[in-house]
Amino acid sequence: MIGPNGAGKSPLLSILAGALEPTEGQVTAAPGNGRHARVGWVPQRPAQYARLSPRENLDLFARLEGIQDPSETSDRFIGLLELPDDGRPSAALSVGNQQRLNLAIALLGRPEVLLLDEPTASLDPRQRRRLWDVAAQVRERGGAVVFATQNLEEVEHFASRVVVLLDGSVVFDGSLSEFQQSPEADVFA
Amino acid sequence: MKAIRLLLAKDLRILGRSPALLAALVLYPLVFAVLVGLVVRYASDRPRVAFVDLDRLPETLTVGGQSFNVKQVISEVQGSVDLVPMEEEEAERQLATGGVVAEIVVPPGFSSKLRGMVESPQLVLKTAQGGLSGRVEQQTQALVYELNRRLQDAYIDANLEYVTLILEGGEGSFLGNEFDIVGLEQAEVMLAEIEQTSDNPEIVDRARELVTFVREAQLALGASGDSLRATANPIELEVDTGAGRTWLLSAQLQAYALGLTLAFICVLLAAAALAAERDENVIGRLARGLVRLGDLVVVKVLLAGVVAVGLGFAIALLFGLLAEILDVTGGEPWERLPLLVLGLALAGVAFGAFGTLVGALARESRTAVLVAFLAALPLVLIGLVPEGAAQAAWWVAQAFPFSHAVDFFQAALYDTDPWTTLLRETAWLLGLALAFGAAARLAVRRLLV
Repeated sequence: MIGPNGAGKSPLLSILAGALEPTEGQVTAAPGNGRHARVGWVPQRPAQYARLSPRENLDLFARLEGIQDPSETSDRFIGLLELPDDGRPSAALSVGNQQRLNLAIALLGRPEVLLLDEPTASLDPRQRRRLWDVAAQVRERGGAVVFATQNLEEVEHFASRVVVLLDGSVVFDGSLSEFQQSPEADVFA
Repeated sequence: MKAIRLLLAKDLRILGRSPALLAALVLYPLVFAVLVGLVVRYASDRPRVAFVDLDRLPETLTVGGQSFNVKQVISEVQGSVDLVPMEEEEAERQLATGGVVAEIVVPPGFSSKLRGMVESPQLVLKTAQGGLSGRVEQQTQALVYELNRRLQDAYIDANLEYVTLILEGGEGSFLGNEFDIVGLEQAEVMLAEIEQTSDNPEIVDRARELVTFVREAQLALGASGDSLRATANPIELEVDTGAGRTWLLSAQLQAYALGLTLAFICVLLAAAALAAERDENVIGRLARGLVRLGDLVVVKVLLAGVVAVGLGFAIALLFGLLAEILDVTGGEPWERLPLLVLGLALAGVAFGAFGTLVGALARESRTAVLVAFLAALPLVLIGLVPEGAAQAAWWVAQAFPFSHAVDFFQAALYDTDPWTTLLRETAWLLGLALAFGAAARLAVRRLLV
């Protein structure tokens, strides 16, 4: 999902995540067996408790997600995303670490749909690779990853379908190859 | 229910990590409670009353043979009001503008009527319209009572001087006539001499009868001082200032201290805690199905309730320990603490519900704290207005939990038969908690935008 600032990418992702109610229309994300898909959401600004440590945040959200063994799950994500585990509150972490914690919380419920809102904006190249590796695992499990970005390289590397938003409206919706041949690609190049 | 428990534990953990903030939140209202108590006690107890002297009272007024220094007497009897001497025109102006709450006028001829002791002179009281007039009238009556008591004492003393003269003899004057009398004591001596020296048995018998009469008269007149004072004051009020509970540990101050502390802490805490979910960008994550928005409001209301019970109980313990250590009259009603805990929980929940409404409307925690403080302060102060003083303010105060919480605490701790009050205030606090909570539930969607 690409578009200039203020195009409506973040609100659309919030609506897809269920955090915002649409003023019209509806969101469906059915995996095919009649139940709602599990959705993980990584908002652009980290959504976690600043005075809790990464482990406490993961523990809390794991329990809220109803995960069987929250402590073991927290351990796993702290290791997987190389999060600091020294008891510091997450407010004291670097922006990159906060963003990884943000991603870890979204992944707790083994999402079938992962929504990423400009996820790499504050990450260094190594952390970016780690993020896309994790996102790839969701796809490998048969899930989907929807991400908003202004970085066309990321689109070319990781997207199979592109939606272009402008002033709150979809101005393009097609495959990556269709996008590359469309005039919109030149606008964002 | 699980989500509520988890988020409540999270909020308490975060709160526990801010001990300085918690201490400030506790100390501030406690200091505030003492200051309010002082203002209520010392400001409203002595309303400013104009004293208009149209009679031009002399510096010294002699009544019943007793001389009074008018200024001194007035300054001594004005304990219940602050009497300010002023001209009639100025007094009228200040009464109209609220500079004074009443005007006491000494009409022309007052002192001459007082000296004449034939007709009671009158003081004129003019009060402003409104809630305080009844109270000022009572306080002025107290002042007139005190004046009357002093005059009464003077009259009695003057009468007793004549009685002493009759008993002991000597020089005196009455209605301008000067005289020199023997007195009963000397009369008894003289009669005894007659009885011993006379040869006439008839005179001796009469002298003996007169001696008996003189002795009885001496006894009777000797007791006349007490009986005169008893007739003048059939009931006397003995003031024992050491018998009551010291004001600083009084039931009223304890209830106000608890009410004020909870009002500020719970409203601010619930408002800030709810708005902080948006500040930390977590509300969207929670609202995706992890926690219902209504449950989020319940969490913050319960947080306020838990904190209210913890802090309120600690304050009550502190008051109780001080009462025990200082051996304060009445002590602490320890057996009533469970009732108090119930009140603390109800009050905390009601204040918390109001706080969540503020937090939902303010949306951002710093704004929420400011709005909560600005809202709580006048609502608490309105709650201090006594019923009957300003009816509109009293009704506004009913729509805020503060006055109900204070009434509950007072009844729970010190009323002999508290149940009617407790039931009434429980209904009020629960009703307000439900009303504010429902409004907060409606408003909390604003946090998602």
